[in-house]
Amino acid sequence: MRRFDWQDPRVVRAAQLLLAAGFFGVWQIAAGRWIDPFYVSRPSDIAAALGHEIASAQFYDDLRVTGVEMLLGYGVGAAGGVVLGVALGRFAFVARLLDPFLVALNAVPRVALAPMLIVWLGIDMASKIFLAATLVFFITFFNSLSGVRAVERGLCDVARVQGASGWQIFAKVMLPGAASWILTGLKMSLPFALVGVILGEFMVSSHGLGYRLNLYATSYNTAGAMAMIMIMMAITMLLGAGFDKLEAHLLRWRPPPAWVSAAPRI
Amino acid sequence: MLLRIDGVAKNFVGRNGVVAALDPVSLTISPGEFVTIVGPSGCGKSTLLNLLAGLAAPSGGQVLADGRPIAGLDRRIGYVTQQDNLFPWRTLRDNVALPLELAGVGRAERAARAQEWLARVGLDGFADAYPHELSGGMRQRGNIVRTLIYEPEVILMDEPFGPLDAQTRLGLQALLLRIWQQTRPTVLFVTHDLVEAIALADRVLLMSARPGRILRDEAVAIGRPRDVFFIHDDAEFRRLHDGIWRDLAREVTV
Ligand SMILES: Nc1ncnc2c1ncn2[C@@H]1O[C@H](COP(=O)(O)OP(=O)(O)O)[C@@H](O)[C@H]1O
Ligand SMILES: [Mg+2]
Repeated sequence: MRRFDWQDPRVVRAAQLLLAAGFFGVWQIAAGRWIDPFYVSRPSDIAAALGHEIASAQFYDDLRVTGVEMLLGYGVGAAGGVVLGVALGRFAFVARLLDPFLVALNAVPRVALAPMLIVWLGIDMASKIFLAATLVFFITFFNSLSGVRAVERGLCDVARVQGASGWQIFAKVMLPGAASWILTGLKMSLPFALVGVILGEFMVSSHGLGYRLNLYATSYNTAGAMAMIMIMMAITMLLGAGFDKLEAHLLRWRPPPAWVSAAPRI
Repeated sequence: MLLRIDGVAKNFVGRNGVVAALDPVSLTISPGEFVTIVGPSGCGKSTLLNLLAGLAAPSGGQVLADGRPIAGLDRRIGYVTQQDNLFPWRTLRDNVALPLELAGVGRAERAARAQEWLARVGLDGFADAYPHELSGGMRQRGNIVRTLIYEPEVILMDEPFGPLDAQTRLGLQALLLRIWQQTRPTVLFVTHDLVEAIALADRVLLMSARPGRILRDEAVAIGRPRDVFFIHDDAEFRRLHDGIWRDLAREVTV
């Protein structure tokens, strides 16, 4: 007799689908009976609103604006964070010098900064890109710095004994040695790029998913607002999944994590 | 390369004050000589090798290579460290080929030479494995081979066969002697195993408990090539072993 295998990915997937179906099913039934759909809408209405969005040209315009802002904000913030984090890992004095200032900058509540950014950078894309970049930068920066500091000294020594130059140490020891930390920072900061952009769009804008969400919510179009939120979730999840693929490839040298059961299957 | 250690001391400043790791040590090692160092754990053997590798600076005295003080690293001096220090993100082949890669050797030649050296230590079937997929003994063989591959003039080895089982150990001792006889690098080999120390060496140095001093400096008058598997049958081996063992035992128990 075959035992039921809880580790089987197909079993896990089926259970996940069941859970999701249950959630939306309960929501659909509850809305209109026990809770007012005015506040939470209902899955069928949201699906209709989603269909409406996807069929409209305006949606793709919003998507493009938000997408570009997010991409640029993430790109600038992540590149800056990784480069500075890895570089400071190499220069202990500069790292110590800048440490309190970086901590202070990171302590600035970015939400509070948003109105000022509009004053400084205007109401166009720049303010949104900057907001996203500041959120992304510190997450990737601190992760990259920790990563470089966690690289084992013995590995550096081996490379130096074998004649590695400063640049080779950086490229062949520090960067790959810190890769798992850097990738964690890059992954963790991804949703924050969207948060920064949406926040900026809430403040002042005439395009973008955040603008549209704000418009729907303030005109009591709950289904439309929910549809927008779901689209944002989908964007974050899609990018996250892509990232997981990239990470699995780049870190293929790692032993499998302990929580994956190693018990033999008979 | 002629190595000279001239009145070298090394102190470490730690949380509990200053630790003297090496008492002034003086010593000359001729080019092509195979010297082994035995001594109790913590007596400063690794510290001495770190100084020769240029990874640390002495607190007193001078470490000289061909008459010039060693200031920093020198590619002519290779170092097989006590921990295997294989790069976890590199396959065994790429780990072994790293010194060639750093020197700008082309990819095809790197791969070919790595393959050849892996085959010599019985690892040719594992070139594409990552370190976590290998046993401790296999990793240590990889660690040794990646220093041999670029043929440094001086090879420092810090208990390289420590974590290996007895059979593998003997096999690798024989292999190391064969390779040494072919290219004749200077070898400074640290071990806690007196049998191994005598079996391999032209000269055995016995170090005292910390702070380390050289207690005895014994020439090993056993002919070469040697058969490490039957070295204990040799009369000269037994004479040396019994003599040094008495002093070593005293250092270990005190
Ligand atoms: N980086 C360090 N800081 C402080 N003490 C050290 C350091 N490295 C070694 N020591 C001390 O120096 C002594 C010699 O160490 P080591 O050379 O590693 O001994 P071994 O002969 O076992 O290789 C030990 O007592 C050790 O505690
Ligand atoms: Mg040691």
